Amino acid sequence: MGQLRVLWQIALRNLFASKINVIIGFIILGGTFLVVLGGSMLDSMDAAMSRSIIGSVAGHIQVYSSQSKEALALFGNMGGEAEISALDDFSKVKKTLETVPNVERVVPMGINAALVQSGNTIDLTLGELRGVLNHLRDEGESPERREKAESLKAHVRQQVEVLKADIAKARLISKASAEDAEDAAVIERVSSEAFWKEFETRPFDQMEYLENRLAPMVSDADLLYLRYAGTDLKAFQKNFDRMRIVDGAPVPDGERGFLFAKLFYEETLKLKSARRLDKIKEARDIKSKRIATDDELKRWVKENSTQTREFLLQLDGIKTRELVARLQKHLGSKETELSALLGSFFTTTDENFDARYAFFYEQVAPLLQLYRVRVGDTLSIQAFTKTGYMQSVNLKVYGTFMFEGLEKSDMAGGLNLMDLVSFRELYGYLTAEKKAEIAELKKKSGSREIAREGAEDALFGEDAKVVEASATPGLIDDSASFGDTAQALRNKELASRVYSQDEIDQGVVLSAAVMLKDPTRIQETIAEIHAAAERDKVPLKAVSWQEASGLIGQFVLMAKLILYFAVFVIFIVALVIINNAMMMATLRRVHEIGTMRAIGAQRAFVLSLVLMETVVLGLLFGGLGMLFGSGLVGWLHSVGIPAGNDALLFFFSGPRLFPSLTVGNLVAAFVIVMLVSAISTLYPALIATRVSPLRAMQAEE
Amino acid sequence: MDPIVSIRNVTKDYTLGKTVVSALRGVNLEVHKGDFISIAGPSGSGKTTLLNLIGCVDTATGGLVQVVGQSTGQLTERQLTDLRLHAIGFIFQSFNLVSVLSVFQNVEFPLLLQRKWTAAERRKRVDELLTQVGLQSHAKHRPNELSGGQRQRVAIARALVTQPQLVLADEPTANLDSVTGQNIIDLMKDLNKQQGTTFIFSTHDPKVMSHANAVVRIEDGQIKDRISAAEATLAVAAGH
Repeated sequence: MGQLRVLWQIALRNLFASKINVIIGFIILGGTFLVVLGGSMLDSMDAAMSRSIIGSVAGHIQVYSSQSKEALALFGNMGGEAEISALDDFSKVKKTLETVPNVERVVPMGINAALVQSGNTIDLTLGELRGVLNHLRDEGESPERREKAESLKAHVRQQVEVLKADIAKARLISKASAEDAEDAAVIERVSSEAFWKEFETRPFDQMEYLENRLAPMVSDADLLYLRYAGTDLKAFQKNFDRMRIVDGAPVPDGERGFLFAKLFYEETLKLKSARRLDKIKEARDIKSKRIATDDELKRWVKENSTQTREFLLQLDGIKTRELVARLQKHLGSKETELSALLGSFFTTTDENFDARYAFFYEQVAPLLQLYRVRVGDTLSIQAFTKTGYMQSVNLKVYGTFMFEGLEKSDMAGGLNLMDLVSFRELYGYLTAEKKAEIAELKKKSGSREIAREGAEDALFGEDAKVVEASATPGLIDDSASFGDTAQALRNKELASRVYSQDEIDQGVVLSAAVMLKDPTRIQETIAEIHAAAERDKVPLKAVSWQEASGLIGQFVLMAKLILYFAVFVIFIVALVIINNAMMMATLRRVHEIGTMRAIGAQRAFVLSLVLMETVVLGLLFGGLGMLFGSGLVGWLHSVGIPAGNDALLFFFSGPRLFPSLTVGNLVAAFVIVMLVSAISTLYPALIATRVSPLRAMQAEE
Repeated sequence: MDPIVSIRNVTKDYTLGKTVVSALRGVNLEVHKGDFISIAGPSGSGKTTLLNLIGCVDTATGGLVQVVGQSTGQLTERQLTDLRLHAIGFIFQSFNLVSVLSVFQNVEFPLLLQRKWTAAERRKRVDELLTQVGLQSHAKHRPNELSGGQRQRVAIARALVTQPQLVLADEPTANLDSVTGQNIIDLMKDLNKQQGTTFIFSTHDPKVMSHANAVVRIEDGQIKDRISAAEATLAVAAGH
């Protein structure tokens, strides 16, 4: 005890006896500080991301078909969707999974992509006009209908004027090609009084001309690439606590419907000018960027002030006059051209931005259609089925949603949701109704299925009747054969149908999210699921949420690796520095060590002497580092770290990260620091034990 | 009575590169309990080497070195260290105190290494020694707060605290002025008389030599003669 005490005292008093020790001390302090801070940040980020990912789509475990060619990637791969084989009957999968004791709930899922035609502004206006004309024809005249029709007609004529101006401008810049000439001819015709006079008498012929010739000239129709997850929406909302409806309402239980991911909705369906205003506001408010200094903001302002055509196309005569008046008042301008007014309105500076942003949403936006597709609209989704046919489904858009924490992530924020039945239809899986429908059709047409080998016989043989080859069993897009009304009718019927839980469960899915009772036992549960799948002969493969989230999961891992590597490098450097410093310190003390040896200290004593000094150094400065680190983490926990850029928003799973400290972080820091100190002192300590007692006899240098 | 130190025909060679330097060439010496012996000789004569061999901090190349009945040539490094700890006290030319420890702790240090004393025993022992060297009032001071003579007295207390059979002092007065050096030698002499502790010290100061029972003169690695202090003083005065 006494020896230990004297070692401790020597170490303690030697602490400030040399500058070297102080230097080493500060390295240890810095290292510990970093480990505590970095470890806590990393763990907090990991926890935040885990919570977001588990709570959004992944669940704790994902299961999918073991016959799949590629690994499941919930948030998509670099080159599109992963090739996943279907699981034929979800109810069986669910039954098997539910035999595993740690499984709490199972949510069916299928992720796919489709194309959606968003329609251009002229298309939309013409569509509206045709609707009113149909009403007039079918249900007779009424003053409101007539007025509406006239207003829409005026709107179309205004759009024609915009296009006419476009062409005139284009003429100034370049020589007209043959195509341009054709366009010019169309414009010439539809802007003539004669055309509109004829419209009075033969509206539908003229409509057709407009729809076929005029609408295609506007090239702003977007073909949207839509990623969606088909799921049991009721179960999904119940199990994924991170999902939150932003606009509209959830899809009613058992009904078919579509929910847009908020980010996707904003990025692709919102009026571009409004979107840019939002982005400028966000950059200014959250990231404290300024229009005057930031190139990206400057670019957005410029784009907004020049790209105003969408406004001219969208607004009819009345609204145009209204907007001109409002802008004139706000800007204090006498300008009468809307495009010029908009140009100067959108030329925002840091001084007037907030006022104009507010004015835009109060006064300008109500006159416009801010989104191409609105909540309540019907969305027509087209997808290639598994066998390569185009399938189309019309779905009501009930609202938008977001996954809290991942709302800014392009990958996760781009995943939309639809009901499982619609997903199956788009995926090319035959629903019960469709099977019945096809059977009915076959019966009516008298067709029968024949094998391919017998096809020739059947066709040209004696009893040749109407045949249907079995190469594409029932996957022909039969909706093509229906007329417009029939298709609409059928979709309407389907859309309003309420499906039972059994209908939702019994059918094809691509994967299923598994929620666990004890989330810490992911790996064991995966093994149990595999065993259960083998027993029930269901081809299942289970993967952890990290694995299933593909790139996103990898990002977390990568960030961790990078940070651990950085810490590793820091400590290697520290190791070298401490080692060198300790060597110097030891060499300076050979006289003292030699004296102790001469007086009768064993080598072990000298070893403990040097090690004790490092321990004291580590304890003191490591402790200080931990204290400072904890202090900073504590402070950050109360104020939060703002996410300065989009990458951080993703890693923080929100606008601010509130790091918290665990005992594990402190223990890890302590162990690492002590280990590094001990390792770096080992060699100097060894050298010290080799100091001969003869050194005591030599004169001190 | 067996001698405390018995040296027979001892040689010590150092290798310096390719040349071998013989520091001691066939030395014979016996030291008995209660002796107060000075080893004298010019620098390079081998007196420090001889002291190192007696002090068990070095081993001989040839011959037999026996310290308190143990043949040092046959002991392991560990055993030699143990022997130093229990049987020998050291007084160094430059005092060699542990600078970060107090006077009390420096004196206590060998007792701690021995690991056989309780705190109370240690305290009693250290207090006794500090009283003997006249430094009881300085127990809490650090070495750098003391004068050279005071430091050497602390070193003497440290050397004697374990009650060793043999105390070795390598030029104990070389770093002290003559009056202080005189006091130190007087102190050593007192302790030798009162407690019968054997002292062997090297010096080339004739005044210091004069206190010895015997002066062993060494030259070129060999013992020239063993004479009385009075003879030695005369010899120095005569310029030999």
